[in-house]
Amino acid sequence: MTEFLSPQVRAEHQKVKHTKALLVPLGFLGFYFLWTMWQISSMKPDEFRTGYTMLFYQLPVMNAILLPLMISVTASRICDMEVKGDTLKLLYTVQKPGSFFDCKYLNGFRYLVFFTFGQGLLILFFGSIKKFGGFRAGDFFLYLLTVLTVSAVILIIQQTLSLLSENQLFPLGIGIAGSFLGLFSMFFPAPVARFVLWGYYAVFSTVGMDWNKDTRIIHYYEIPFPTRKFILFLAFGIFIFLLCRIVFTKKEV
Amino acid sequence: MGPVIVTDSLTKKYKAKAVVDQIDLRIPGGSIYGFLGPNGAGKSTTLKMLLGLVKPTEGQIQILGKEINSKNRLAILSETGSLIEAPAYYGHLSGKENLQIICTLKNVPEKEIQRVLHIVRMEEQQTKKVSQYSLGMKQRLGLAAALLGNPRILLLDEPTNGLDPAGIQEMRELICSLPASFGITVLISSHLLSEIDQMATHVGIINQGQLIFQDSLNVLHEHSRGRLYLHTSDDQAAFRQLKNSGIPAQWRDGRLSLRLMEDSRIMRAVALLVNSGIGILRLEQQQMSLEDIFLQLTGKQVSL
Repeated sequence: MTEFLSPQVRAEHQKVKHTKALLVPLGFLGFYFLWTMWQISSMKPDEFRTGYTMLFYQLPVMNAILLPLMISVTASRICDMEVKGDTLKLLYTVQKPGSFFDCKYLNGFRYLVFFTFGQGLLILFFGSIKKFGGFRAGDFFLYLLTVLTVSAVILIIQQTLSLLSENQLFPLGIGIAGSFLGLFSMFFPAPVARFVLWGYYAVFSTVGMDWNKDTRIIHYYEIPFPTRKFILFLAFGIFIFLLCRIVFTKKEV
Repeated sequence: MGPVIVTDSLTKKYKAKAVVDQIDLRIPGGSIYGFLGPNGAGKSTTLKMLLGLVKPTEGQIQILGKEINSKNRLAILSETGSLIEAPAYYGHLSGKENLQIICTLKNVPEKEIQRVLHIVRMEEQQTKKVSQYSLGMKQRLGLAAALLGNPRILLLDEPTNGLDPAGIQEMRELICSLPASFGITVLISSHLLSEIDQMATHVGIINQGQLIFQDSLNVLHEHSRGRLYLHTSDDQAAFRQLKNSGIPAQWRDGRLSLRLMEDSRIMRAVALLVNSGIGILRLEQQQMSLEDIFLQLTGKQVSL
C-alpha cells in the first residue's frame, strides 16, 4: 500500500509498526466524543438551533487544553524509538539528516490529519443526529484548517524536543505546560497572549461568546476570521520549521 | 589492490583541542585494517568522519577513489556498511523488520535479508523482538544491517565491546571470513591489541589523535624482533669496540645491546670482543611483545 511513497517516507511507516501510535489521536477523539455527548445532554432543545456555533466556540477552547498534550505524546511515540535505539548514526549513512527530519515530520503530521478529519466527522455526526442549526461551511472549513495549522506548528517544536531529548519527560512536560498556557492565555492581555503559541486554537475561532450575568443567557456571535494574523502565523510556522530543522541537523551524532 | 580509503591531514578539533590530528590513513583493499588505540584516542571520531557523521575541521577523505563531499556522500556510502559504537535498532520491531527498514532506505530487495541473516547466523531469531535480544545478538543484527546491499567496505567500531568470550570469538570468526568470502575490506577499531592481532592484516595505531604507526601486521611484528644484550667484563669498552668496527651496537638503559642479526655476525662481534681482551660474561636474547611495542609507541598501558 505504501509502495508509491518515497523510500524514506515508507521507512517511517515501517518504523511505527506495532507502536499503536494511532491509538493516541483515536483516544483523544474518544474523549471528545464523550465530552460532546455530555455537552449535548445538558443543552435545552432551543439551544440546538445554535448547536454548530456553540461547538465552534467550545471546541477551540478544548483543543487549547488537550491538543498540546496529544501532540507531545504522539511526537514522543514516534521519535523516542530513534533516541532509544541510537539509530541516527546508522540512518545518516543512508539518508540526509534534513530528509530524516522532514520524513519524521510528515509521519507525525498524518496523525494530525487523522485527528482533524476525525474531529470534523464528529462535529458533522452530532450536528446531523441532533439537527443542529447554524452550520456554515466556511466556518467549518476554517475551523479544521486552523486546528491543523496550529497543531502542525506545535508538532515541529515537540518533534525537535523529542528527537533531541534523551529522556522524553522533558518534551512531555513541555506539552503539559503548553496545555496550561494555552488555556490561561485566553485570560492574558492581548499583547502577552500573542506570544503563547498553544493559545492560537482559540485566537482563530470565528465565534465569540457573551454571557449575561443577570439573565444567565449565553449569546454566541460571529467574529471575522483574522486572515492577516493567520498568514503571519503561517509564516511564523515556516520560520520555526526551518529553525528547528537547522538546530537538529547541525547536531553531530 | 590499491587503498580503498585514503585520508589526507584529516583533523577534527573541538574548540582548540585536536581530537584527531592530521591523520593520513591508507587502507588497502581486501584487508582487515585494525585501527588500534587506547580509549579516547580518536578512533570513533575518525570513523564518524569517514562516514560523514562528524564534519572534519580540515583534511580530505577519499573512499573507493572518490573524494567525499556533502553532495556525493550518500552515493559513496551506499558501497559501505557500518556499525558504529553500540548497535542501532528499533526494539519494538523484530530483527527482520529492522532489516526491512534498512532495505527500504538502501533500496535493496528484501530477499537480501535472508542472505545476511544466514551470514550472521541469525535466521532462527529473526521474528523475535530486538528488545529481547542479547547484546551479542544485537551486534550480529547490526552487522547484518551493515552487510545489506553487498558493501565493498565495512567500518566496524569496537564491534566486540560488551560481548562475552563466546560472542567475541563468534564475531571475530565472522569478521575474518568477510574479505575472503565476499571481497569486503574491513576497517575495525579496537582498544584490544590481542583482538587486532588475531584479526587484522594491517594495523594503524592512533594515540592522542595522532597516527603513530601504520603498516601491515607483519611489519608491526617485525618491531617485536628482540635485542641481544651483552654483559661483558667492560661494557663501555665493548660498546666503543663494536661501534668502531661498524657493528650496530646500542647503549640503552646502561646496558650494551645489539639488534638481532644473523648468527655469523653475532659470532663476529663476539670474536672481536674476545680478541680485544674483553670477556663475555653473558649473552641474553630479549623478545619484545606486541604489548611492549604498543606501550613504547603510545606510552600507555593497553588492554590485553
